[in-house]
Amino acid sequence: MDDVLQHLVTLLTDKFDVPADAILPDSTLTDMDLDSLAVVEFAVTLQELWHIDLDDDAAADITLDDLAKTVRGLLSEQSGTAAP
Amino acid sequence: MTAATSAALSMSPPTPVAVTGIGLVTPAGIGADDTWKGVCAGRPTAAADPGLAGLPVTISCRVPGFDARTQVGGAQPWRYDRFTHFALTAAREAVRDAGLDPASRDWPAARVALVLGSAAGGVGTYEQQHRKLLTTGHRSVSPLTLPAFLPNMAAGQLAIDLGVRGPVLHTATACASGATALATAAMLLASDACDIAVAGGSDAMITPLCVTAFARAGALSHRLDDPPAASRPFDATRDGFVLAEGAGVLILERAADAAARRAPTRALLTGHGSATDAHHPVAPSPDGRGLRAALRQALGRAAATPADVAHVNAHGTGTPLNDRTEASALHGLFGAADPSVTSAKGVLGHTMGAAGAIEAALTVLTVQHQLAPPTANFHTPEAHTAVLDVVARTARRQRIDLALSVSCGFGGHNTVLAFTPAPRPLGAPPAGTPSPTRPGPHLDPAS
Repeated sequence: MDDVLQHLVTLLTDKFDVPADAILPDSTLTDMDLDSLAVVEFAVTLQELWHIDLDDDAAADITLDDLAKTVRGLLSEQSGTAAP
Repeated sequence: MTAATSAALSMSPPTPVAVTGIGLVTPAGIGADDTWKGVCAGRPTAAADPGLAGLPVTISCRVPGFDARTQVGGAQPWRYDRFTHFALTAAREAVRDAGLDPASRDWPAARVALVLGSAAGGVGTYEQQHRKLLTTGHRSVSPLTLPAFLPNMAAGQLAIDLGVRGPVLHTATACASGATALATAAMLLASDACDIAVAGGSDAMITPLCVTAFARAGALSHRLDDPPAASRPFDATRDGFVLAEGAGVLILERAADAAARRAPTRALLTGHGSATDAHHPVAPSPDGRGLRAALRQALGRAAATPADVAHVNAHGTGTPLNDRTEASALHGLFGAADPSVTSAKGVLGHTMGAAGAIEAALTVLTVQHQLAPPTANFHTPEAHTAVLDVVARTARRQRIDLALSVSCGFGGHNTVLAFTPAPRPLGAPPAGTPSPTRPGPHLDPAS
């Protein structure tokens, strides 16, 4: 698991209380019982941690693998900011 | 009987209400047992609070070792404000204590009411998110801000957690909110709007803005070098209250219903009174007018006279003005009857909107165990408070057939609740007429 995916998993377990066994590469945030407000909260948290603007409308129903891909893309777009 | 008490009786025929469960989260501990032990031991809980560094007052009474994740597990605690965490924890304990199981088929969801008081709701969340808006911009504001801070949301979340589908509401009468919730619940039971009422109060106001605002208003004790001595209700050297946090929840049922399901009744709520000063936004009426009216109403509903009152769990904040006015009002009504008086705020500090419910639960335990807890730090009375028989130093064993819990709040709100010992269980031998020195029938020798 790369660093970005690992960070997302940690965020989901530590902040959002998602049981570890519910976090699979092909689960979506909706599968993990995050409702619309929780998905926005997820985006706000990434904004605070890494200063990236994740589109919360798109984030709810893509797989965790794709979500990590999206986040990696947003991080690499940031000039002068190293990936976490 | 006075005209006022006759009027109160005719307005509302007494419906004795059984207290079948209590749950507490307080600076003396998580749970009713720990709180009762701490309050009876008279151990002050005020301490230096590193979270308040740099503010004008740096002491508070925090709930010790409260971890929302373990206490409120399973209910997504990260979505709620701390005041909801406290309310959930206390309510679950109260429901268990009453022998009720919201998951069972017997839980009458549509006939359960829930009334939860809070002075400030999720003010901690509000402050935190507002700070983010100002410092890092609107994109950093949580979408969960409103469901966390709206004052009714502890009640709303409790309804979800317990499966309560009858009337659910929030009461806000500042520091009387928890007592108002109980009085309202008693009225819902009397009007047959529900069969079971989950009622209490919760607040988590130890926040930078609230502490600063109370300090600016001159309401807080400045004994910052000696926190355990800071909260000293009725003492001559009192200089303000110590801000605290917590929750108290009681389960109320009509006494006949409680008896029918053989519920473990701790005490009866036999009367309540609510009246308002209509005098000043924050100062009590100098003649204690609203408080005296609330006391008379509660006695009227309980079909009792001032001479019947053995004990008063006072509001007793430890501010010079409150304690003086309250002492005069109590002395004015009770005179030579001279019930014992205590304030739990010497131990617990002032839990704001939770105080009325926490102290009601302590009054329930007082009549159940026939034991009046002491007022921590009460050493020297002054002229105004010397008229009261304040329980000092150690808990006092006494016969208590009727005890009152008094609450007052900014806005001129006054609420008084009257509690009597539970009826003897079916099959128990008749009580006879105990001598005045004999402990009451519900004395628990182990306590």
